Amino acid sequence: MAFAWKQAGVSYNKYLSIAAQAIRKSLKEQARVAAERRSGNELKVSRWENGKQQEAKYLGNSEQ
Amino acid sequence: MQSLRLLRTAALRAKPMSSTIRAPVRRGYAEAVTSDKIKLSLSLPHQAIYKATDVVQVNIPAESGVMGVLANHVPSIEQLKAGIVDIIEEGGANKQFFVSGGFAVVQPNSRLSINAVEAYTLDEFSLDAVKSQLAEANKIASGSGSEQDIAEAKIEVEVLETLQAALKA
Repeated sequence: MAFAWKQAGVSYNKYLSIAAQAIRKSLKEQARVAAERRSGNELKVSRWENGKQQEAKYLGNSEQ
Repeated sequence: MQSLRLLRTAALRAKPMSSTIRAPVRRGYAEAVTSDKIKLSLSLPHQAIYKATDVVQVNIPAESGVMGVLANHVPSIEQLKAGIVDIIEEGGANKQFFVSGGFAVVQPNSRLSINAVEAYTLDEFSLDAVKSQLAEANKIASGSGSEQDIAEAKIEVEVLETLQAALKA
């Protein structure tokens, strides 16, 4: 059973994030809200050309 | 007998005029190891639960099996799976945290660092939330999704079953 996920190509890092997500979702209301607020990430990307920032592109957040 | 001889040689080496002759401070191996406590650091990305705190024993859920760490443990690095970290503090108090997995590093001179993504005491979990998630994860794990989805659902099932067992105990 141990490392069954590794054979399916899941890294330990991925294992950790899945386990952490499952734990956060299992918490009682108050702690869960605090934990989920903390765990969210958003990603925005923009290029710099000629010393100017080009349009920012939103790449989504960790919930998606 | 030997200490007597040491005293005498010390006395011989001392200057004849000095009036205070102190016995040389002897240091043995047994004195070098003074503490039977282990310094525990349990840290998360957003919080340090223990910060080099003296504790008696720590039981950790290593991938290779649950192991207990006492003072003067052999240095090692252990990959953890989701499970209970059991901390026996000074005075016999016992604290349990459910961790998501991470690494435990047993350093020389009785230091133990545990890094995990999430760690909560058992009373912060809701058994109902665990059950409903477990049902959902089981459905995916036995469904006809991609190999990746099934592998991820199986991780969830394993984590949640461990958590459920811990909460019921």
